[in-house]
This record gives sequence, C-alpha cells and structure tokens, in this order.
Amino acid sequence: MAGRSKTIIAAEALARQGQVGAAVHACYDALALGDQGAHVHALLASMMLEGDFYDEAIAEATSAIEADPDCSPAYLALGMAYDRRGGMWDQSVLVWHELAEVVPDLVTAHVQLGEAFAAAAYSEEAVESWRRALELDPREARATYNLAIASLKREGMALALPLFRQAGELDPSQDELFFALLGLTDAPIITVDPARVKPTREARLGAAGLALKADDLFSAAELVRAVLDEQPDDSEALALAAYAYLKQEAANEAMACALRAVSLKPDLAIALYCLGVVYARRTGLKRHAARVFIALAKKAPAHALVHVLLAESLLALQRYEQAGKAYRTAVRLDPACVRARFGLAATYLTEGRHAEASWEIRRAAYYDTKRQRLFWRLYDEYTAGGEES
Amino acid sequence: MTKPVDPKVTGPIRNALFPVGVDLYPLDDEHASFDDWYARDLTPDLTAMAAANFSLVRVFVSWKLFEPQVGQYNDDAEDRLGEVLAAIRGYDLKAIVTFFADDRFAEMNDVTWARKRDPRTDDYLIQREVSLIQRVVNRYRTDPAIWAWELGNEAFFTGFESEESLQKWTGALREAVREVDTARAIMLGVDTETLVRETGVDATEAIDGFEYAVSHVTAPYLSYIAEGPLTYGPATYLDSFLLRCGLRTLPVIADGIGVHSLEGSVAEEAAYVRTVLFSALMNRGSGVMLRRWRDMDAEKREPYFRDPYEVLVGLTDTGGESKPVLDEVRRFTRVAAHIDLRHHLPVPERAAVLIPAERHEPLPSLAGLYTPRSCLQSYIAAKEAHLPVTLVREGAPLDDTMVLFIPSVGKLTPSMWIRLAAFVQSGGSVVLSYGGGDTDPAIREIFGVEFLGDHGVRPVVSCRVAQPGLLGDLVAFDARFELPHYALVGGGSATVVATDATGSPLLTLNQYGQGRAVFIAAPLERAIAQSDPWAAPEPIRHFLRTVYGAVACAVGAGPVIDCDDPAVEIALFQAEDSDVVLVISHDMAPRTATLAADRVVASVTDVRGGPAAKVGAKSFGVPLGPNGAAAIRLAYGG
Amino acid sequence: MAADAAAQLYQAFVDQDPAEAIQVVERMRASGVAQDALFDVLYAPAMGLLGGSWASGAIDEITFTQAAVVAEQVGSFVMPPAATRDTGVTIVLGTIHRDQHSIGRTIVAATLKEAGYRVNDLGIDVRPADFVERVGETGARIVIVFAETMRAARSVASIRDMFVAEGVTGVVLLVSGGPFAADGGLAREVGANGVVTGAEPAIRIVSRVARDLAGGGAED
Repeated sequence: MAGRSKTIIAAEALARQGQVGAAVHACYDALALGDQGAHVHALLASMMLEGDFYDEAIAEATSAIEADPDCSPAYLALGMAYDRRGGMWDQSVLVWHELAEVVPDLVTAHVQLGEAFAAAAYSEEAVESWRRALELDPREARATYNLAIASLKREGMALALPLFRQAGELDPSQDELFFALLGLTDAPIITVDPARVKPTREARLGAAGLALKADDLFSAAELVRAVLDEQPDDSEALALAAYAYLKQEAANEAMACALRAVSLKPDLAIALYCLGVVYARRTGLKRHAARVFIALAKKAPAHALVHVLLAESLLALQRYEQAGKAYRTAVRLDPACVRARFGLAATYLTEGRHAEASWEIRRAAYYDTKRQRLFWRLYDEYTAGGEES
Repeated sequence: MTKPVDPKVTGPIRNALFPVGVDLYPLDDEHASFDDWYARDLTPDLTAMAAANFSLVRVFVSWKLFEPQVGQYNDDAEDRLGEVLAAIRGYDLKAIVTFFADDRFAEMNDVTWARKRDPRTDDYLIQREVSLIQRVVNRYRTDPAIWAWELGNEAFFTGFESEESLQKWTGALREAVREVDTARAIMLGVDTETLVRETGVDATEAIDGFEYAVSHVTAPYLSYIAEGPLTYGPATYLDSFLLRCGLRTLPVIADGIGVHSLEGSVAEEAAYVRTVLFSALMNRGSGVMLRRWRDMDAEKREPYFRDPYEVLVGLTDTGGESKPVLDEVRRFTRVAAHIDLRHHLPVPERAAVLIPAERHEPLPSLAGLYTPRSCLQSYIAAKEAHLPVTLVREGAPLDDTMVLFIPSVGKLTPSMWIRLAAFVQSGGSVVLSYGGGDTDPAIREIFGVEFLGDHGVRPVVSCRVAQPGLLGDLVAFDARFELPHYALVGGGSATVVATDATGSPLLTLNQYGQGRAVFIAAPLERAIAQSDPWAAPEPIRHFLRTVYGAVACAVGAGPVIDCDDPAVEIALFQAEDSDVVLVISHDMAPRTATLAADRVVASVTDVRGGPAAKVGAKSFGVPLGPNGAAAIRLAYGG
Repeated sequence: MAADAAAQLYQAFVDQDPAEAIQVVERMRASGVAQDALFDVLYAPAMGLLGGSWASGAIDEITFTQAAVVAEQVGSFVMPPAATRDTGVTIVLGTIHRDQHSIGRTIVAATLKEAGYRVNDLGIDVRPADFVERVGETGARIVIVFAETMRAARSVASIRDMFVAEGVTGVVLLVSGGPFAADGGLAREVGANGVVTGAEPAIRIVSRVARDLAGGGAED
C-alpha cells in the first residue's frame, strides 16, 4: 500500500512491540490527520483485540471493511473478535467463510470456521472445515483436536483418544517438555561438534542434550556412547539415548534404554518421560503409562504438559474425573496449553458440562490464534500489495 | 380471584424490605402481533408466582397500542392494563409499570405516526409521552397494586447519545408522573455502569433524581468483563459488583437476573441464579427482579442468532411448566423472608475498591477499558479475603472507609492524591498497585518509595518474602504469568515486605501519619483480568487476598466472621439478640466451609427454622453443595 | 523363576529367535502367571537387560536393533488385555421422546460399552413403549433415560408407568441430564432409582446396580 503516513508507520512499530496503548494513540492521531484508510481501522481493531476489547475491535474492523471490502486483516480481526466474544456464531460463520474465500490458504480461517459451525450446531459442516484445514496443513494440531472432540460427541472416548494423541504428537510442546526436564528450555539451538566437547561426563551429557535439541541425533548418539563406554550404568545417558531412539521412531529400543535407566534411577524425570511416552503409544499399556506419568507428575509437578500426559493416560483408563483434575492443574500452570484445554473440554463433555467444554475450546482458540500472530502476515501482505484476491 | 393459601407453609413467606419479582412480558410467542399484548390468560402464571412467593411483577405499557393515533387512546388497551393490574392485586402481588421499554418483539415504542422521529429527543414525541404517562398514572394512582412507575429499560436507554438529552427526557417524564402521583416511587430501568460502557453516556445524575436505582448485568457487559462459565469464577461476582457500583444514595434493585446465553443446562442456570439471588441479599440489594417469567416461544433461527437485548429464557418453559430455577427462587424467598432486615443490619463495609475517574476517559485512552476489569478483580480479591467491601468512585467521600484498594490505576487526579494523603495520614490504609507509566510524585511521599521506571513486560511473576508475617501469611512463588508492567522502585522510607526473584521490591509498606500505605509494584489485578481470570495462578490470587486481608485486619476492617475457604462468600447481619450469616459458594465443587467468629457460638439454626445444632465453640463447619448457599442464625454464649 | 525367564527371553531377543521367545512366554503362562502380569514380570525385565547390554557394549548397535525387532514381534504376547472383559450385563438406553439431545447419551453409551457392558442404544426421541419393548426383547434390567429439557424430563414418568402397567418388575430405571442434575427430587418424582451425572459415574452406578441385581436385590 503506497503512501502510508509516518504516523501510521509509527503506530505499526508500536503495535509490533506490544505497546497497545501507545499504538492506539498513534492510530487516533493518524485518523485525526485524515488517514482514514482501511489499514488504520484494521490496525486499531487488532490493538483492541490485543486488549480483549471485543466490541471495540468489532467496530473498528467493521469500519475497515466498509472502507475496503477486501481488507483481509480486518476480516481476520473481525472473525476473532466475534469468536472470542462469544454468542455471535452466525456472524462469525459469515466472516470466516469470506476470509477462507479471500485467503484460501489461511489454515486458521478453516479451523475457526469449523469452530463457529460447531458452536452453531452444524457438526457436519464443522468437520468438513477441519478436514479442509488438515488438507492445507496436516500438522494443524487444533483442527485435529477439534476432530477429536467431534469424535467424542459422536462415538465416545475410545475413538477420540487416538486423535488427541495424534494431535499431541504434532504439538511441539511435547519435545519442549523433554528439554525443560533437561533444564535446556532457554538453551539456543546450536551445532555441536562432538570432537570439541570436553571429555567429561557433564560436558558430554550437556552437549548431547544440545545436539538433541538441534535434532542432530548422530552427534548426540556419539556423545552418549562416549559416556556409556566409561560408565554403562549412567541413567541419564540411557535416558538421552531413549529419547534419541524415540525421535527415530524406534520404540522398542527406546523402551529398552528407558527401562534400564529407570531400573537404575526410578525417579529420573527424563527417563520416566521417555518410558511413559513409549507406553502411551500402546493401547495395552495404558495402565503402565498412567503409573509412569503419576511418578513423573510427582517428580516434576511444575510442568503443565506432565499433567497433560498423565491426564491422557487416565482418559484411556476411563478415569475421567481424575483426568479432569490433571488437566485443570495443567491449565493453571499454563493457561495457553491448547492440548490441556481441549482435554479438559473432553472431560467436561463426559460430565455433561457442555457450556464449560465450549468455553475451554474457545480459550484454546484464543491462545492458539494469539500465538500465531496471523494478523501481521495478512496486514503486511495487504499494505505491501493491496488486497489478497 | 385471590391466591390459594398453602396450609403447609408457616412463617413469613416474603420480605417487604427485599421484594422478589419477575418481568412479565406482553408477548410469549415470537409469531404474536403487537396487539396480542397481554392477551392471554395470566391466571396460571400469577398463581404460580404467588405460590413461589413473588412480591413484584413488572409489566410493560405499549405506547403503540395505547395511542394508535395521535391523541387517540385505545380504551381496550387501557382496560386490559386494568385487568392485568386487578389480577396482580388479586394475587397479593404488586406491579412495576414500565413505560417506553423495548423488548425487541412487542414494538411497544414503535408508534406508527411518529414517522421515525426519536422518542428520546423529539420534543413533540416527548409531549405525547408525557400525555400518555399522565393518562395512565392518573387512572391508577390510587391502585394499591402499583409498587412503582418505571421509565424505560436498558435497551431503550442505549439510544441516548448524551447526558443532556437523557437528563432532559428523564426530567420531563419524572415531572409528568409527579404532577399526578406525588407519592409512589419512580425508577429508571438502567444501570449506570453498563450504560456508560455501551454508549459512553453517564446516567448517574439522571438516576439520582429518582427513588430507586437498578443494577443490571447485560449480555454485552458480561461479554466484556466476565465472559466465561457462570458457575464459578468472576461471572459469579459480577452481579454483586454492579450492585455495589450502583449503590450511592439510592436503594438498588438487582434487575434482570437470569442467564443470557442458551449454552448452559438447566442445572447451570439454577446454580447461577441461586448465586445471584443470595449475592444481592448479601450485598445490600433492596430487592431482585428476575429476567423473564415464561420462555419465549421463538422461531428456530438458522444459523443461531440472538440480539443482546432479547430476553428469551424464563423461569418457566413455553408451556408454563416450572424449571429448577423457579425452585431456587422459591427457596430463596423463604430464606429472605426469615431475615428481619429492620433489625438485622449488614456489617458496615469499611473496605472499598476505588473506581478511578480515568474509567470515563474515552478512546484512545484504554483506561476506560482496563479499569472496570481491574476493579472487578480487586473486588473479588477482597471477597476472597472475606472483607465486607464496597465500591467507591474517585471523588466520593471516604468518611466511612478505613481501607482503600486502588487497583492497577494509570493515574489519579491531583485532588485525589491530596485526599489520599489526608486519608492515610488520619489513619486510613491504602493498597495501591502500579498501573504503568509515570507515577505521581505523591507516591514517594505517601508510599515511601522512589520510582525508578517501568521495567515493562515480564513473563513470570516471582515473589520472595523478605518480612514474613508483616502483611499476612505470604509465601514465595514463581508463576508463569504475563505482567504488562513492573515498577522498579528503590530508596525511600518504606519497608520492603516482598521482592521478585532478583530482589527488586514487589510489595512495600509505609507508615504515613497514622495510617499505612502499601505499594504493589505490578498491576496484578489488571494482569489477572487481561489474561485468563478463570485460570489465574493460585499463588497470585493468594498473594492479593492475603495482602488485602492483612491490611484490612490491621485497622479493624477485617471480617467479623472469617472463613477458611476463599471461594466462599460470607455476609453477616447483626442484631441485638442474634446474628444471621449468609454463606454462598462461588464454586461448583462441594465443600465444608469452616467459619470462625470472635465469640463463642452456642448454637446455629437454619433461618427457616428447625432444630438448633449445638456448637459451643468459636468455629463451626457449614457444608455446601455445588454453588451451595446457607442462611444460618447464630446464638452466642459460652 | 521369573528372573530366569526374563534372562531366557533376553537371550531369545539377542539370538533373534522369536520362536524361543514365544516359548518362554508360554512357559510362564503355563506356570500360572496371569496375562496382565506377563509384561511386568517377564517382558519389562528382559527389555531392561537388553538396554543394559547395549549400554555396556556387550551387544553392538545392529544386534540391539535386531533384538528390538524380535521384541516387537513378541510384544503382543505379553500385553495386558486391551479390551475389558464382557460383564454380561445388558443396558438399554436412549433419549426420551421429544428430546433431540444426544451428546451425553453417546458418551455414556460408549463409555459403558468400553467398560464391558452390553449396551442397546435406542438413539434420540425414543417413545416410552420402545424402551419397554427393548427391555422385553433383551431381558435387560437396567435402563438409562436421557432428557435435557424439563418437559422431556417429566415425561420419563411414563416409562415407569408402562413398566408397572405391563407387569415388568425388577428393572432399575436411571435418568441423566440437566433437569435431573438441577433437581434431585425430580428423579424420584418420575420413578427413577438414581441419577447418572456423567460417564465415569455411569460406570460406578451401573456396576453397583449390577452387583445388587446379581445379589438378588432388584429395585422397583
């Protein structure tokens, strides 16, 4: 979009930094100076959305669309405002439909459209929308979670649970948990050269962890082997090996290493994690998975995903009430944990608490869409080249 | 016809100082025409209302029906109103007669001859409104069935665009009523807080000219401030919060009680209404009005659409069959009837949450959007600390207040800072949490801290207790929780009570004159409101309510009856011979709340009667079901 | 003995001899070890030994991988039973006439099926006569009726009336849905014996009822 005013460019910069109040002021200054373009209102709408002021966001997005019916970022803001506000599913369906036509590769539009259909009790249309989202992006976890919920409503938990697991495996937060248990949450992703690692146990194990984080399984294996050659009963090394095997889909090797590690050190969190994940993948070992995750939750209670994994194992055992408790713990530790929110919604559905289930799904959408920062993608495209067609 | 007397019910069945009423809409079927206004037989409904011990029924006058042509009045319509009032009187009920309400169905204000003029501002139409009012009021001014006249409802008032036009309209119509009826109460059916949120128009001055105020959770307001489950969390406190907002000089009726969405089950609806009814009684309400008597027989709408000012859900279904929520109302009226509010008075509220004047700032200032949410969270924290708490606007007198909570405020007016200094110096206590931006120089003087700047966004809240026990039982914690601001403070005379993980003060306490000033370096209340109020980390909630509670207790503004459960709200009504304590749970999980008095409680009895349970101690347990409520009479003695 | 067996199983893995591995499992079964204990008693220790051997270098990477393949082949022999045993108890359930709500019913029905009950799900909008007819056909003694509206909830009374009119005794009538959760007395009013408040409570209450019925204590 040629000729954006300096004021609005400043507003954009402030908005990207998260300075909502200052960005709003700058937008109003731009409006006062006569810059009434759709992009200004769209930007204001997005700022109002940041503050969860939905009625204001709706008003601004509507103004943007009136100024330019092809303003895709305004549609996005409008749809999200409707969804987050709740109770406006009919309008929401129209907006997401429109956006899905204007930006057909926008996966979130299809996911949100599905959720709006589901809230308005159009379940078949909802499922269709989610399947379309997965065609565009097979790794779209929230579409799979929604399909899991839909499956639960139609067929029960036994058929829904595999979908939850499938979505969970797509969820990057599970790997993040392993590295959090390893104490490497904030560690950068770097290339590790095993030849340059100090020949001490701590250095090798640390480097192996970093190599795993960088997905360099060969370097990790080399370093772990070096540790085990000196001390075969090193439980941490065995646990790292188990994780590396897990990443290679070698479940039995992973189980062997994890079992050995746990036999040496029963409360080693990373070993419990690997063993639990292996067990959880086998239907017959649901009781075993639950036992392991209970132990892990005792050892590492501050991690939300630990409670999610426990909850999923409890769902498999039909212990829905306990699963609900575990999910609630996870949500309290991390309100943005989409997997926990959907799981909690599932347990609420088993208790007939439909309104609360809907709420959890809406909160999951809230956090997921916040994380995606889609508005800036559409805004930048819109301001750079005009409308998407 | 008079209402049947149930021989089984003994004792009082209504409370004259706390009437319970319901809105009886003129149409119950979306397909009905505007002239089907109260056309059906109301006998079954009124019978059921009387059996449920209602006191009040709100009825709506249809201007369109009453004055089909200019100056020509419909006698049939007037007779029909008379029949309705006679029927109401026959059942020993009383009526609130509302003029100029918009219910979205009965077209009551859509007089065809008005030619699209605005009935709120058009002088000619206002004259016609005056005539209508005077005609109706004159005819029924001696009718004992009339409890109050009411002008408009929330949907109607959202059409006003300025305070001037609102005051002009309300003044004219009030005068019109008073010319004919000098005695009966007149009300405006609008909540100031929800109206200012919706339209920016402040109805405070207009309402102060009437005899009753109302508080009214509207669907848009609920969506703005407490969108989430209705059976636990912030939504369960919202009705009493608005009631407290409306409490100034007039008694406040908690109006429009009922669910707004159709997502919940009848069980959730009943639980929510139970919470709201008890909250109203516990928070100085002067009565309650339920939203609708009978479900609206609405068309199936595809896709599902609902106007925020439509009222579709009633206490009975479309066939008149009662729902569990009506049983809740019935139970509640019996409880309320057994509390003599002439003698049992609520414990005075010495703690107050300040609503800063910046609440009224229009966009682009976001203060008007952040502030009500922060105030609600502050109110909830005070409730969790079991403090008798109210709300006070910036600029209002603080004579009755001993503790002031100022949550996450951006700025106060210069005059407020002066008053705050005087307040604390003369013995008051204040808890202020930083709201971002620059601070007023008065911070240094009153709170004893030197403001060094805003650290900005923090993803984690850490607390390390430097002085255990100084401000309650604080515990160290680290919670993953985004804070938009964090004040860096240093130097000064204040005692550092708690810090973050790196030693930067989080909580300070300063003795200033005879009072104490507590500073919290982060806008915790706003952060809770802006993040996920239903999933706020428990350590942070514990921190807030512990600080609030400790500060209040230190100046004698703490709870008279304490409780070990923050999800349980308590209200104590004191009399010479015995006290009554009302207890409600703001949560779905069953629990037993342990109440602790400062004297030995000899026995406790349900206010509705029954055998006394011996206690003989200062504390006793009250079992509560999901969103449970209890009303207990305490007898003291050793 | 278990430790020996685990060592034998481990050796079978390393020797890449699935036939021998299976024989080890069968010998353990024959010795009285229950199916749902085989994994803990035999398989897991064997896998632990495998991991230990790999760690110590006693076996190389290739042997380890090939042993894991054998372990995979034998895994199904030692898994605890995936499906729950059939309880032999038949349940008829459905959403009452003039009520279209189905989610709660579907979830409870699926849960009870997974728990080993023989569930006859009549769907939505089921007339009272259909409940009675299916009870007659199947000999079921437990009926669960779902209703989410007040009118539908009250109409559940006609099911009990029909049982009485037809002389059907010994059937336990349970109800589920918002109206019953809100008003505990409503279930009694319609002649129900209990309220099902969710999927997991359904398992508990049905299990208790089934035990009572088996013990001869039928309720009318």
